[in-house]
Formats: sequence, C-alpha cells, structure tokens
Amino acid sequence: MPLPTPLQGVRVVDFTWVRAGPWAARWLGTLGAEVVKVEWPLNLDTLRQNRFTVPPGVEPGPNSTGQFADTNANKRGISVNTRTEEGLELVKQLISVSDVVIENFSSRIMQRWGLGYEQLKKIRPDIIYVSMAGFGHTGRHHWYGTMGPAAQALSGLTHLSGLPSAPPAGWGWSYLDDTGGMYGAISALTALRHRSATGKGQHVDLSQMITGITLTGPAFLDKTVNGRKARREGFPPGNRTVWPGAEVVNNYRGPIAAPHNAYRTAPEGYNDWAVIACLSDDEWQKLVELMGSPKWADSRFDTIDGRLEHQEEMDGHIEKWTATMGKYELTEKCQAAGIRAMAVQSSQDRVDNDPQLRHRDMYVPMDHPMLGPWKFQNAPFKLSKSPARIANPPPMIGQHNREVLEDLLGVTHEELLDGYENGVFWPTTMDRYPYIEEALR
Amino acid sequence: MTSANNGNQQDSADIGGARPADLSLPGALDGLRVLEVCDEKGQFCGKLMADNGADLIKIEPPGGEACRNFGPFMDDVPHRERSLSFWHYNTSKRGITLNLETPQGQDVFKRLAATADIVLESRKPGYLESLGLGYATLSADNPGLIMCSLTPYGQTGPWRDYVSSDITQMAGGGQMASSGYDEIDVPNPPPIAPGGGNSWHIGAHYAYIGIMAALYYRFLSGEGQYIDASIHEACALTTEGAIAIYLSTGDVVQRHTGRHAAPDMSPAIQFPTGDGGWLNTTRSGTNLTPARLKLLAEWFDQSGMADDLADERYQDPAVIAEENDHIVQVMKNFFMNSTLEDAFHGGQQRDFPWGAIRSMDEIVGDAHLTDREFFKEVEHPELGRTFTYPGPAALFNGSPWRISRRAPLIGEHNSEILQGELGLTNSQMLLYAEGGVI
Repeated sequence: MPLPTPLQGVRVVDFTWVRAGPWAARWLGTLGAEVVKVEWPLNLDTLRQNRFTVPPGVEPGPNSTGQFADTNANKRGISVNTRTEEGLELVKQLISVSDVVIENFSSRIMQRWGLGYEQLKKIRPDIIYVSMAGFGHTGRHHWYGTMGPAAQALSGLTHLSGLPSAPPAGWGWSYLDDTGGMYGAISALTALRHRSATGKGQHVDLSQMITGITLTGPAFLDKTVNGRKARREGFPPGNRTVWPGAEVVNNYRGPIAAPHNAYRTAPEGYNDWAVIACLSDDEWQKLVELMGSPKWADSRFDTIDGRLEHQEEMDGHIEKWTATMGKYELTEKCQAAGIRAMAVQSSQDRVDNDPQLRHRDMYVPMDHPMLGPWKFQNAPFKLSKSPARIANPPPMIGQHNREVLEDLLGVTHEELLDGYENGVFWPTTMDRYPYIEEALR
Repeated sequence: MTSANNGNQQDSADIGGARPADLSLPGALDGLRVLEVCDEKGQFCGKLMADNGADLIKIEPPGGEACRNFGPFMDDVPHRERSLSFWHYNTSKRGITLNLETPQGQDVFKRLAATADIVLESRKPGYLESLGLGYATLSADNPGLIMCSLTPYGQTGPWRDYVSSDITQMAGGGQMASSGYDEIDVPNPPPIAPGGGNSWHIGAHYAYIGIMAALYYRFLSGEGQYIDASIHEACALTTEGAIAIYLSTGDVVQRHTGRHAAPDMSPAIQFPTGDGGWLNTTRSGTNLTPARLKLLAEWFDQSGMADDLADERYQDPAVIAEENDHIVQVMKNFFMNSTLEDAFHGGQQRDFPWGAIRSMDEIVGDAHLTDREFFKEVEHPELGRTFTYPGPAALFNGSPWRISRRAPLIGEHNSEILQGELGLTNSQMLLYAEGGVI
C-alpha cells in the first residue's frame, strides 16, 4: 500500500495563473491536497503558451508546454466561464465544499466577481482564502501590478545582486515567483494549522513584493539601526564578501571571508566555473596545501585582513590553479580536503551530472499525455510517514470537468452537455479537443 | 533619490483587504513548542514559526551560536549580542545554552524534547544521533514528535558530508548559472551569486512547508514523523523555467543582465534614470499595444519628451513592431530626464507593471508598507532602545503575526526554562555553569 499523504482530505480551489500562484498550489497538491484548477480557455494561463518549453516534435498547444507541466502537476482542472451566472454559481458550489481558495489576480478581480473574503465566508464560514497580489490587497498601492522582476526590484533583492559600478545583475529568473509561490503554500499551511486548532478560517493577504523585503533582514536592520547608506561604493560586492579596495563592512552573505569567489575551470566553457569559500584562516591553509603550497601564497595571505588587502592578486593565482581541472574534479578535491567548494551547475548539470540529486530522486519520471515520458521535480524534503508524491501529470485544459462537475457538484449529464453548448464550460467559438469529446460520451 | 512616498493616492479606495488580526488573539502556531538547534542554515525557519506564535526555545552551545559573530553589528561595535543578522533571524524566540556533548546536557535536551511538538535542527548529518539524540530516541515516549533536519545536502547520498556556505549552495543549486550579465554590460562576465543569504532562505521555506504538512498529518492521525530536508534540493528547485526548458528542448539558458536567463538573446529591460537609479520594466518597450503606446505618448508629451510617438501612424501594431528600437530610445530619453520614483509611479498609474530598483534607502519608510503596518518597533530593554524591524510578507486577519520579543541574549532563559520548567536546583545550575554544561 502506498503511504498516506499529509494533506489528504484537503480541497483547494485554485484560481491562480502564470507561475507564483500555480507553484503554490502545486505544492499543496504534491502534499496530497485535492487541487482543482479553474480555467477559461479564452484567458489562457501564460505558461500554457510558454514558447521555450514545447519539445521538438510535439504539436504546440495549451497542453504541450513543459513549464506548465511541472508547475501544475498533481492538480485536476476544470474549464468554467465565471462571467456566466451559471458558471459563477458552480464555482461558489465548489468553494462551499472546499477548504482553501487561492488566487494571484490583481487586487480587485475577486471583489469584482463577488468573491471577496466577506462573500467567501458566507459560502463557507471556515474558508481559508489566500490572495497573492503583487502589493497585497491592503495599502495605497494595492492596485499596482508586478511580475517577478519588478517585485524583486522593489523589494531590494535586485539591489543586493551584482558587481559594483555595473548595472544591477539582479536574479536571472522570477525568484519571487518561485519564492512567492512558497509563501502562498506557507500561508495556506499556516492557516490550516490555525483552523485545526481553532476551527476558524481566515484571509491571508500576501504581497509578492513584500515577501522579498522579508528576505533582506540584515540589510534592513543595517539601515534602521546603523543608518548605513545602502547605495555605497563597492556594493554589491559581486561574488565576494567585500569588493577589493572598498571599506570593510559586512555585505550580508554570512561572515566576511576571502577567498570567496567564482573561478574559471577547464575547459573554460560557458558554465565551467566553480566557487570556493574559505571562512577561516584554517580553511585557507588547507587550500594552500591542496594547491601544493605555491610560492605566491606567502604570509601576506595568512590572515583575513591580508587576504582582503591582496584579494585581486590572490584570486588571480587561485584561478590559474582552478583552470587546470574540471569543475567536478575541483569540487571533489576541495571537499576531500574539507574546503567549501562547489561546481556552478547549469540546468543540464543538475538533471544529468549531479550524483546527489540522482541519489535523492529529484527528477521523478511520469508519463504526460502530450509530452510522453517526462520528469517532474520532487519535493526537497522527505517525510518519513506521509511523503509528498508526484502522482498526476498536470490537467489538460478542462480535462476533469465531468468528474468534478458531475461527481462532486452533482451536475447532471444533460446539464453538463448544455453547458458545453451555451458557453459555460467551453467557449462556443472554440473547437473542443478530442479528450473533451471523449469525456462527454 | 526622491522620496518613495509620493505615490498617487487617487485610486487607493479600500477593497476589503485583510487587516492584521488583533494582537489579543492567539497566533496561528500558538500552543506548539519548538526546539531549535540551528545555525545560519535553519534559524530563519525557526523565526517563521516563532513570529506566528510558536513557543520556540533556541538551544545554543555555551557561549552562543557561531553565527552571532556575523556582522553587521549595532553601531558597528562587534559583539556577540549586537549582531544584526542574529537579531533579525531569531526574533520571538527564547534562548538557552546547553552543551549537548555532555551527559547532563543530553538529559536536559531529552526532557525538553518530551515537551516539544517539533524539533528543528541543522547540525551535520548524524551528529545528534551520535549523541543519542536522534529521532528514534526522542520520539520513543513522544510519538507525536515532528523532527526536521535541514542540512546542506540531506541525510543520505554521496554529497551528504560536503561542507558548504551560502555561495556554494547557490553554485550547486543553479542560482549562479542563471544570474549575471550580458557581454555588453560586463566583458567576460562571471556567473553571479545573488546576495543576502538566500540559499538559507530557500531551504528554510521548504523545511517550514514540510513541518506544516507533518503537523496537518499529525492532526489527522496523531502521529509525528521525521523530515529530512535538503538545501541543495530546495535551491535546485528554485530557478523557475531553467529545468523545464532543458527537459523540453535540451537548451541551457544563458545569463542576461537583470532579466530572465533564456536560451536566446532578449531585449534589455533595465534603464537608467536621471537621478542615478535603474528602472526595471519587466518587459521592454516591445509588447506595446496601440492603446498602451498612446498612454505613454500622452505621458511623455507632458514634459515635451514624446518625440513623434503621438503620431497617428503608431496606432498600428505593425508600425509599433517596426519602430521598436526608436520607441525604446524615446523611452530611454524620458527615463534619463525623470527620477526613478516618478518613472515608476507614472508607469504603474498607466498599468505598466514596472519596478524601481530600490535599496533600503528607499524602502524604509515607504508609504504603502506603512499602510500595511510593515514596520515593527521592537524593544531591546537591556539597551533602553527600540529598533525598526521588517514585518510579515502576509497579513493574517484571523491570527496575528508578531515579533513577541527581540532575539534572546546568550542563555537568557536558562533560569526560566531549566529551573522554572524542568526544576533544576540552584546547585545544579551552579555545577552546570562551572562544568560547561550550560
């Protein structure tokens, strides 16, 4: 018998789209909640249109993108037009038998639908409502729109990343869609514990942008406690803890340390880099030994102040050494000597070359109706009694209309067929996919 | 830099967003006791629980955790009680000191674990077990106990004993392979590890999710369990589309300045403003519809900067596409003659989802954050001072989030917990102190 899942019996109505919201609900589903994604084909989730992730040889379409697939695994999906009276009524019925409502629209949409928290509470008194707007639903700029990059910019996260005297490097992806999604799941789970203890639901009003600010604590306190100027010479310090020649202050990535950098490795291709960080004089001596105690590594570098003073020279010498070997060879040598080092791993490296992720079953195989044999990202934690699981591929759009509407909400088969004819369950202007026709038979 | 507080308020009508729950109510995790044996890797997960009302007891080695030595320090005076990093990550916790390598320390730990719902630890894999403090022992008489080990690479596998730091986790996890620069901005650019200790945040978020899931399962079944959480896996999960792109097409993403790493080149989206700031436009001037271009032209025209964009011929998507470079140039000129905050608010008020690249200089005191009661005054009674801390990401309207106290001083609650709760005598406390147990 398979092990039980931790969130068995929890039902989630998922109005989310793009990345942050769907990623939140994805984890609730992966933990065993029954997630019903509510969609409408004329307002297609943008991840269903992601041009980078349609595999060659697969017919493009809303059910064919790899990015949607992984972001929406372990959900069921229905297509309902909430702009029709009938559709909205069914959505309300679904909410009345659900535990969590989660959405990441801009702040006014749910109110416009008549589904703000006060109304949701009337439908289901102990409902947990998680809203995930960019600025939240409260505060003068609640109506401002953000996507990951803008939220990161506004939160201060972007400012923390890059080389001094260059434009901000920021984050090369929507970090606050990933992490914003985490907070959507965190919010729902926290509220679920509160409901287990008290029987009461609540509205959790999350802000994607503010999520980022909560991840800048030491920089925040350096401002409010010390009045330190955030826009200062030598900040951000690249991959280092202190930029050469800049004032020695802590720049918020743990203790001040040197070496602390990315170095070229052989054969010097695009992702042939590794990082080394020596957090003590002791660790530095281990590195000197590993490098064969070269002549340049003299007593000037014995202490952290000396290594900071001569950081450019030191990093140049280290890189001549690292460039003589591959990044994994370097990692293994350093680790064997107790030195903190790791290869810079690309997506390909993680999927194909990382023995740790392979050992831990990070990429779980499962068939997808359009993509064929596919890999889905596993949970990064292992619960001993009720593990997370990759159980179902993502829904094709409207795939589960019949089972959700008929079996769960008691719609008769005739009503279902009518709904397809009159634009409630599928746009009258669009052809139906074969799997829909089949399900209606 | 102009003030961040000049946003338009015309459209700020209350839409029934959440108001923070009354502080007289219990927090969401009220009634749960957590023991935390964590350094920089796990302390943030502890904070997430403590600020939501858990009774969290932080167990440090005598003299305190080593991460009390992380700067910056209050008034730039280095001291283990003045680390702002430690302050931030340890709010709402109580703290005791305990040497877990002594028999008395182990006994005290076991007695505390018998009262706990959750044990959160980030020591080396196998360390607590080697002291007789593994999950099997601790849960023997407390079957509802949930124990989470959050470690760099997890409890099993070829890398489980690898040593790490924030930047090595960002290297292995893929953050660095996605972040950096275009050649045009930085010649021969290295991959960049984003700052701020975020590998620890990423690990802590997933550990928290695992713990909350286990709590719900305990609510259903009465059973506790053990959770083996890995920072490496958490980071490997946190590069958005990079893995999906590789799995779909075999393409490996390339790094681009301030925007998504992608298999191909994409237009720049960050533009300098006249006051030395940078505006992130999420997407560049492309994707403009005629209606949106008209909004831009009217806005720019107010300062005579619209160039020819008000011309009727731009009300044609084909012309917009054709003239993209020119349109972007007009936008750039406008931004260079604007302040960062004016460009940001002006764009948002016209439904452009742009973001000012703000630093703490602009964020602290921001009006929208003030509306959300984000700035929390936290008293440090031993200093006679009060400092402003960051508040929560979300407003919970049914269970208050709060910083119930500043981070514990070293061994601050030894007497309260060891004597008050466990009943250690004065002479035991003396012997334990002199013997290096506490």
